[in-house]
Amino acid sequence: MRTGVVAVALALLVLAPLRSARAQFSFDARRYGMGGVSLSRDGNARRFNPAYRALKTNSQATGTPKFSIPVPLGLIDFFKKHPINQLSHDSIFDPKSPAFNPFELTNLIFNPPIFYEVKKSPLPTNNVEFTIGKNQLIMNLGGSRVLIPEQDFGLGSTSRLFDAGVGFAGFHVGVMGFLQYDAAFTLDSALRRALTDTVTGLQPGDTLSLLSDAVAQAGLAPTVGFAGRLTHGADPATDDGLYLGGAVHYYMGATFGRLTGPAQILVGNPIFGTTPAAGVNDTLRTSNKANGRGVGGDVGLVWVSGPFEVGVGANDIGAELTWSDTKLQHVTYNTTVGKLVTTLDTNHVESKTKLPITYMANAALRMGTGTTVGSDVINSGRGTVIHVGVEQRTGPFAIRGGVSRDQRKKMQFGFGGGLRLGPLGLDVGFFTHSNSLSPQRAITMATAISIY
Amino acid sequence: MKALAAALLVFVAACGRGKAIFNVDVYSFIAGTSKDTVHYIIPPPPAGSATGSQVQKINLPPGFGSSIVDTVRITNGSANLVTTSGSGRIGFQLYVAADSASTYNAGALALSLPDTAVSVGPPISVTISGDLSGAVNALFTQPTVWIRLVATGTNPNALPVTGLQGSMILTALTIRVIVEDKIF
Repeated sequence: MRTGVVAVALALLVLAPLRSARAQFSFDARRYGMGGVSLSRDGNARRFNPAYRALKTNSQATGTPKFSIPVPLGLIDFFKKHPINQLSHDSIFDPKSPAFNPFELTNLIFNPPIFYEVKKSPLPTNNVEFTIGKNQLIMNLGGSRVLIPEQDFGLGSTSRLFDAGVGFAGFHVGVMGFLQYDAAFTLDSALRRALTDTVTGLQPGDTLSLLSDAVAQAGLAPTVGFAGRLTHGADPATDDGLYLGGAVHYYMGATFGRLTGPAQILVGNPIFGTTPAAGVNDTLRTSNKANGRGVGGDVGLVWVSGPFEVGVGANDIGAELTWSDTKLQHVTYNTTVGKLVTTLDTNHVESKTKLPITYMANAALRMGTGTTVGSDVINSGRGTVIHVGVEQRTGPFAIRGGVSRDQRKKMQFGFGGGLRLGPLGLDVGFFTHSNSLSPQRAITMATAISIY
Repeated sequence: MKALAAALLVFVAACGRGKAIFNVDVYSFIAGTSKDTVHYIIPPPPAGSATGSQVQKINLPPGFGSSIVDTVRITNGSANLVTTSGSGRIGFQLYVAADSASTYNAGALALSLPDTAVSVGPPISVTISGDLSGAVNALFTQPTVWIRLVATGTNPNALPVTGLQGSMILTALTIRVIVEDKIF
């Protein structure tokens, strides 16, 4: 129970910024070496831009491997330090252990030790100090104050769990599964002050509020799409040309829920000596039946001209689902019994939800000198991520570098190299990331064998 | 108090390894109440010694039950000795226990300061400081501890027959508890 509380707190503080990196986790060391940019025409490109369905995923043209096999140096190192037959007693997983540190476990979850951590970001290691008086409570969290979010924070994503179908003559008919969730939290000024101000701290009569707005919805969407080449270059055999793609989805929502409202602590006056009140006054909307309905679409363009390629695509445009049978409930905290209590307000009412528009823009330039430059901008539902990278090939060798801006708006860096011998390649990529509970970046080394 | 502290500790849990330090202003909880004053009446010889005391409960943040207390120290403490009759010597003792009754056990003695010569006149200020006995450290991981402030006195004088009388009035008492953090 206690561990759960800690985990929730940690999640509230940091999950959202971490999620982006997790969603884009790749086994491709080449990609890491280029700052995270992907030059592949499948994967994210097809996911966000339906025009890519009309383009061949020719790895020779794009220079990307058919697939990559990670060399899990990180796993080897992890199991050397944490023998697999002793994991159940390992302090990293055992909350009862004196050495258990919830930060360490959280960092492990969001930094799967597939690749080798060259430089780990240090766990917050500092003293915390409380000053407690009858009418005084000041917390000095030391260096950990940087973990207290300044603005709203949360986690969210729009995922297409699967996308299956058949295609002919540019047309595509299929069905996809969608899952969208978004949880946004905001610390009000009093709560933020209580956690960060080492002079004033908590004030008598303060109302500390954590404002939340969380929504989740999932379902299926039959899809009809088209992707085709509108124009072509002088040689139709090449990929040159302008491509257009689009898809219309009929969303069939299976379930949804939305919780909005504050969780509050009403500080007594004086602070100590009076019992503070806990307050929750939230509104919960949930679907009674799997009957969410709506229509939305994707659209995308790709232009290829010799060594240059640029694309832009957006998903779930106009996707608003109408749920004809939902119920509205109030969630309050009963201080007498110390439990959350849900009471029905109205039932069998209509509710509407929206899927956020997600998008990707990408560009690549493949020069004849063995140089490839690429970039992409992706927003998968919560924040924009930008990658820019370059690769220089000379004979069997390649060197790479790149930069990115993550969802925390922090700059990250990557560099690496590779050796390709025929259909086989060995790639190494070093990249910085802020996926840990620390203000400092970590450096990870990705290693992979690529099959071309 | 517990709900507030527990809720805030959820955030404090985000502080990783280190030490948790509590500066508890005990005086603020008892200032202005009769609890801040310990009266002493020390009879003349042959008895010649006696004590007066006050018991006070202190609330601490919960959730440190499995933690290890490094040190407990009085960082800021003072009292005024106001003698209304007689003369003699007054000392200060602090007892700490898990409940009120146990503060009267000899094993609960956490701090004992040398006595001070007193007589009728202006208040005499004494400084209260020092580390508490390690034997009581574990008590400070609990959400509640009880303390007993004791004025111990000796009176070597036969006169006045009313003995040595007065009050030890607390003017400051801050206890600093350093805990190896193991929150939750």
